[in-house]
Amino acid sequence: MTEGASAFAATAGGSLLALPILVPAAGVLLSFLLGGRQAERIALALMPVQFGFAVAIASLIWRSGQPLVYVLGGYAPPLGIALRADGFSAVMLVTTSLIMPAAGLYARTNFATPNDGTERRAPLVFWTLLQAIQAALSLIFLGGDLFNLYVALELLTFAAAPLVCLDGRPETLAAALRYLMFALFGALFYLLGVALLYGAYGTLDIVLLSRQIRAEPAVWLAAGLMTAGLLAKTALFPLHLWLPPAHANAPAAASAVLSGLVVKGSFFLIVRLWFNVLPALPNAVPGAILAALGSAAILAGSALALRQERLKLLIAYSTVAQIGYLFLMFPLASGPWSAEAFSGGVMQALSHAFAKAAMFLSAGLIAESLGHDRIAGLGGAGRAMPVTFLALGLGGLSLMGLPPSGGFAAKWLLMKASIEAGQWVWAVVMLAGGLLAGGYLYRVLAPALSGNRPRLKSPPRRSRENVALALALAAVLLAFAPPTFFAFLQIGRPAAGAALR
Amino acid sequence: MSALAAAAQEFGPGLLVAALAAPLVVLAVVLSPKLRFAALAMSPLAPLPALAAAILAIGGAPFEGELPGLRMSFRLDLPGAILLAAAALVWIAASVFARADWTGRPNAERFAVSWLLTMAGSLGVFVAADLLTFYLVYALVSVPAYYLIADDEDAGSSRAGGVYLAFTLIGEAVLLIAFVMLAAGEPGGSLDIRAVVDALPASPWRDAALALLILGFGMKIALAPLNGWMPLAYAAAPIPAAAVLSGAAVKAGVIGLIRFLPLGAALPGWGEALAWAGFVSAFYGVAIGLTQRDPKTILAYSSISQMGVIAAVLGLGLAGADQNAASDAAFYAANHVLVKAALFLSVGVAAALTGRGRSPALIVAAALALSLGGLPLTGGALAKLAVKGTLGDGVAGAVAAASAAATTALMLHFFIRLARSDNDGKAASPQRILSWLALAFASMLVPWLMFPAVGGDLADALATATLWDAIWPMLIGAALAAGLWALGEPLPRIPAGDIVVAQEAAFRASAPPLGAAFERLDWRLRQWPAAGLSLLTIALALAAAGFASR
Repeated sequence: MTEGASAFAATAGGSLLALPILVPAAGVLLSFLLGGRQAERIALALMPVQFGFAVAIASLIWRSGQPLVYVLGGYAPPLGIALRADGFSAVMLVTTSLIMPAAGLYARTNFATPNDGTERRAPLVFWTLLQAIQAALSLIFLGGDLFNLYVALELLTFAAAPLVCLDGRPETLAAALRYLMFALFGALFYLLGVALLYGAYGTLDIVLLSRQIRAEPAVWLAAGLMTAGLLAKTALFPLHLWLPPAHANAPAAASAVLSGLVVKGSFFLIVRLWFNVLPALPNAVPGAILAALGSAAILAGSALALRQERLKLLIAYSTVAQIGYLFLMFPLASGPWSAEAFSGGVMQALSHAFAKAAMFLSAGLIAESLGHDRIAGLGGAGRAMPVTFLALGLGGLSLMGLPPSGGFAAKWLLMKASIEAGQWVWAVVMLAGGLLAGGYLYRVLAPALSGNRPRLKSPPRRSRENVALALALAAVLLAFAPPTFFAFLQIGRPAAGAALR
Repeated sequence: MSALAAAAQEFGPGLLVAALAAPLVVLAVVLSPKLRFAALAMSPLAPLPALAAAILAIGGAPFEGELPGLRMSFRLDLPGAILLAAAALVWIAASVFARADWTGRPNAERFAVSWLLTMAGSLGVFVAADLLTFYLVYALVSVPAYYLIADDEDAGSSRAGGVYLAFTLIGEAVLLIAFVMLAAGEPGGSLDIRAVVDALPASPWRDAALALLILGFGMKIALAPLNGWMPLAYAAAPIPAAAVLSGAAVKAGVIGLIRFLPLGAALPGWGEALAWAGFVSAFYGVAIGLTQRDPKTILAYSSISQMGVIAAVLGLGLAGADQNAASDAAFYAANHVLVKAALFLSVGVAAALTGRGRSPALIVAAALALSLGGLPLTGGALAKLAVKGTLGDGVAGAVAAASAAATTALMLHFFIRLARSDNDGKAASPQRILSWLALAFASMLVPWLMFPAVGGDLADALATATLWDAIWPMLIGAALAAGLWALGEPLPRIPAGDIVVAQEAAFRASAPPLGAAFERLDWRLRQWPAAGLSLLTIALALAAAGFASR
């Protein structure tokens, strides 16, 4: 069995897989040692290095057409621990390594250490946690062992939650605590499921499990617990209680990372669970439940976004809605359309990451320049800061799913798969979601480009506007992804629901 | 091979790309503050590559082009070229006309950006060859036009813009799912429009796709009862914007029907349904239009009526597997492109002129107006002749003659309202008058040049029997208009947009309570006990679902 051999033996270049985890982890330690002002430099210096490794990993996978494997310490699973990277891991790594430096460059203004040398808490915490999030996400994208992934998941939560309350206002503290508490429940559910699987099979390696797994009560209970726990951390409706306050109250650069990347971390693990651990089991009904929750998220999140009075809350509720789209791929995971559905789901994750990061950064500039982010007070603001609103609008294009945008490509693929599968209800939900998104963007953009220019407290700095614009353009450019990109996404994806034992 | 056909193969593919790119290049220059003024002066030149491509395709042969890097493909066939030529001429004339609007106004930059994006989309829809390219340019011709309509920023413009955008986005959504069905129904995985439409009659999603295509494009061409946005939008838009929207942009819906209806396959059910919807629209537009007082609103209702006639022709073509219906309907629509745009410019010119200049201008406007009724020797007469074959001599032919009479009455009503309209105090710049005259001249001449291309016989157009066929419905229409006039305009006043008033009221009555209900639901679900319960329920439901599907 050639596939069996490659799943447990390190592939050529496999040792590269440790670096995206080690580099930011080393950055975290160095930042602690060297202190506040150096933390910013270390974080910004290591981010291009991280990007280089991510691209190197992607190109190795592309050239070999196979997932990369690295076995830590040379002990093969189940004794040892494996790192694995498939096409999906690689694009998530690259996306993370692009959005992180964007958020970093944007945040330099807000989290600079003053020149007189006094060390302040917020900058040190921000730059350290940013690197910790990057290390945790790398481990999530590369980990091949469910317990390892639990550790990564916890690291991600503990790095992300304090970012919400960096400025120390009481409402931000409440939001961060709410986030932390609910994530803790989620973690418990996940851990319980992992324990069940370990008890049943004696291993937590994804590939080993996927070969032994049978449709039995312990497995389904484990799958239910783990999935629900991960959904809590992904904030899929109706488990979204923590997301709007957390994402709307965090500093803009942190919101971009939280909304664009952090929720994708736990989503990534749900995909791993259903597509890599459980693909051999019949999953039509659980898949339909996930998609039904996703549909509720799309409709409720978009409708609620329409009713918000503050721009950042509107964008946060739009994240609730956009997370919903990610779950429409699950009931379409088996059948001739499964590749299309998978590509659509991944495309949605990528385009939302870029678009939402761009929108939160723009919203941050708007709030800083106007001194508020009340939607009713945005009249004429687009004329005073056109580049900021262009970034906001282009991000919105992707959310609405209008071409050219990655959001359109995602919608097209998901709709095509659902029509071919005869599950047209998901297509109808996607249409409704697009219309509602059009509605909430209209509420922001129509007044912003009309009326007299408001007086700005301070005009936004062009370099920061450009960061937001670059992210929005990345979301647009995803529309032109060539067919080879979608072939790349399929590398290492087991055929779902193929064989029933 | 003729010289034009050779040139078409040589330069055509490049011109197709240039047709779409030229407005976007001008747009890029407009965004630079230093070069803005020079770029705006260039905007009338932006449609020239499209015009050149159209001339090569009409005089020479159809051709294709592509941008493989962007996965876009283009094709210009006869129906597309006829419409493209007319649309390019309108964009050129209106861009010259609009330059006065562009200088020194607070909204100048926003207007220019919307103008050029809409132009790119409007020219692009006639050359797009695959589903994704078509959807992209269709969105371009539709969405940015919001700012052309809402340009004035008063309450009426905001309302018109909002209603327009709602119709546009719903139409886009309907078409998206229709296009997905078209793509899913093509077994080879091709996205080429011809390939997917050829596969449509055998597709399992045939009926759903056809219904959605007719609904989506029907919203764009304002088939009743989806017509409400059009009178609001055209009345709110500045004159040159109303000209390009009513002339060129709305034809995105016409080319959509031409391209996506499988005209070669006989589908009597769908064809007759579309034909009836079209004829109902044709008379509905006239009936409501006769109750209006504002010349721009009357022109909008005439557009609803004329688009109805085109839908009816295409419906009959679909019912009878008549492939000529494509180029015949395109010719009819091309005449409407030129005439309706020239009529809107007439409204602007008439409002600006006083005294001696006004009467000759009104005479030109009258000739344009009656062209829509089919006045002999005008393009309108040729257009009616072109679709005569598809309409036939039976019921459809008689209904079409009645619609010509009705249109004549409506256009006379328009003329009277125009003649009585007030001066708006703006001076008529020579630029405006010349561009309007040039377009009026083109709308008289160009149909004669294109008529042979769709297989028309110019001698036939001048035959006595043809002239009489055109004249008697107009006499009936004139009698009707005179009767209404003599009775002192007895018709009730119906608000512009007619049914949209009810649609808006229904929206206002249902949307806020629904939103409030979502807010209450959200509040409940975000309480800790509810969220904990949800978490547990989801875990158990997933486990049970998996267990049950053993």
